[in-house]
Amino acid sequence: MMAFRPKLELVHSVVKPLASAPLDFDSLFERYAGHVARVAARMLGRDDADVDDVVQEVFFTALPRLGRIHSEEAARPWLMTVTVRTVHRVLRRRKWRRLLLGDSSVADVPATGVTAEQRALLARIYRALDEIDPKSRIAWILRYVEGERLEEVADACRCSLATAKRRIAAAQKFLMEVLGDG
Amino acid sequence: MDEGPLFALPGRIQPQWTERRAAQVRAAIERRVRRRRAARWAMATSSLILAGYLGFVLLARPNPAELAIRKPASAEISRTPSTPAEPTATPLTADTELVVDPQGAGRAFVLRRGSARFVVTHDERRPFRVRVGPLVVEDLGTIFSVARLSEHELNVAVEEGHVAVLCEDSRAEIGRGQQRTFTCPAAEEHARDTPASAPAPTTPKVVDRQAAPAWRMLAERGRYREAYDSLRGASEPPVRDETHELLLAADTARLSGHSGEAVPYLRRVLVRHGNDPRAHLAAFTLGRVLLDELARPAEAAEAFERARAPRGPLAEDALAREIEAWARAGDAQRAHGMALEYQRSYPQGRRMRAVAKFGGL
Repeated sequence: MMAFRPKLELVHSVVKPLASAPLDFDSLFERYAGHVARVAARMLGRDDADVDDVVQEVFFTALPRLGRIHSEEAARPWLMTVTVRTVHRVLRRRKWRRLLLGDSSVADVPATGVTAEQRALLARIYRALDEIDPKSRIAWILRYVEGERLEEVADACRCSLATAKRRIAAAQKFLMEVLGDG
Repeated sequence: MDEGPLFALPGRIQPQWTERRAAQVRAAIERRVRRRRAARWAMATSSLILAGYLGFVLLARPNPAELAIRKPASAEISRTPSTPAEPTATPLTADTELVVDPQGAGRAFVLRRGSARFVVTHDERRPFRVRVGPLVVEDLGTIFSVARLSEHELNVAVEEGHVAVLCEDSRAEIGRGQQRTFTCPAAEEHARDTPASAPAPTTPKVVDRQAAPAWRMLAERGRYREAYDSLRGASEPPVRDETHELLLAADTARLSGHSGEAVPYLRRVLVRHGNDPRAHLAAFTLGRVLLDELARPAEAAEAFERARAPRGPLAEDALAREIEAWARAGDAQRAHGMALEYQRSYPQGRRMRAVAKFGGL
């Protein structure tokens, strides 16, 4: 114990100034771009230009705010919030496009290592998700696909815990009705 | 809920996020950053330019010294509800010659010709003055216009406040909505070439000649058609019994295409102001109107005879035109006799050819 204390003090004195230093954009992008792209692809059910647009928008929004984020760990929930907001805009735009232009085409779901049957099932799930409110869809994906805790879902969606629960439950109920026993 | 295999499937989604794709997204972000930076620069630059322009417009004040060479803005007087801190002067006619009086410390002008409008804030310590020959118009807090009518005569129209018109010790004031013509007759007398033995002029006085009628202002600016319309539309007798005004009325009628209406004005000059030096000019003009435009040669001959003052500037021309008039009136004998007289008096006369033709020489 006597030998351990000085080591703790030394680590503390080095880490503290690093933690308060502004984030480097390159390292942030390198660390989280893939994660943002994966979350966006799962929420959108596609891996196309929309995913690139979401990643671009999220990091373009983050760029001027880097000075206010003091660690890469703290950046993750913040980036998730921006991702949710950006994906919501894309989903809403897509919904309007379906309504106005009748665009009902379903892109290939970018799942790897799945059978043809599972791929067809995945397409059915996303077709069903297209029918529900984008906010509920996002909350459901965050909870059951990304495995986020309810508090984290509420934070990312900028809503109360009760609202997050209600959205997740609504999406779940609809999916169960549509897909039945799966 | 049950996290069965059905709802675990979306978790199998793995986008093909490659380095190349990440580089493309990064390049797009950098392009957007550059565009945003350029837009901010453009916005900042245009804001600075706009702020600079507004500052220049708001802070720039007219320099009185520049007013003398400023082009006239408009002949119309625009009403200004309040007077600015610095006096402003606007020439009202194209031929206006308005210069800064070097002794006036920026608050005095000399109106050499034409007319101008002045907007002045009264300052008792530094009165604003406009000098027109011997006359001086001094503000008492006002907006007013001054028109120079002759060497010793001006017309003042006051829009707001009061002005004082000064001529040496003499002074007259007029107020808002008034328009008056002033002269300085004693100064006029003094200005003429008088013999050294002539008695000293009396003290100059400001003489208020009442408001100048619109037709006269227009005629003096050469706008004869408008002057004629104004003259015809006047409710009261608009032409005063003065040589200058009668001649001006005759010119207005004649030059606006109403020659017949010029005759009474010219005859009136001859009858009422026969001793005026300008009576010969009136007679000659009457002869020309009657002969050339009204085809009344006999009356024209009489008018030309009247214009023939001995050794006068019009004597030779009047005699030649009289010969022509008598010849056109059918009195060849009289024309011939006068032609001989012309030949004797002006053997090298300019009108010899016409005289020979009409006089039968």
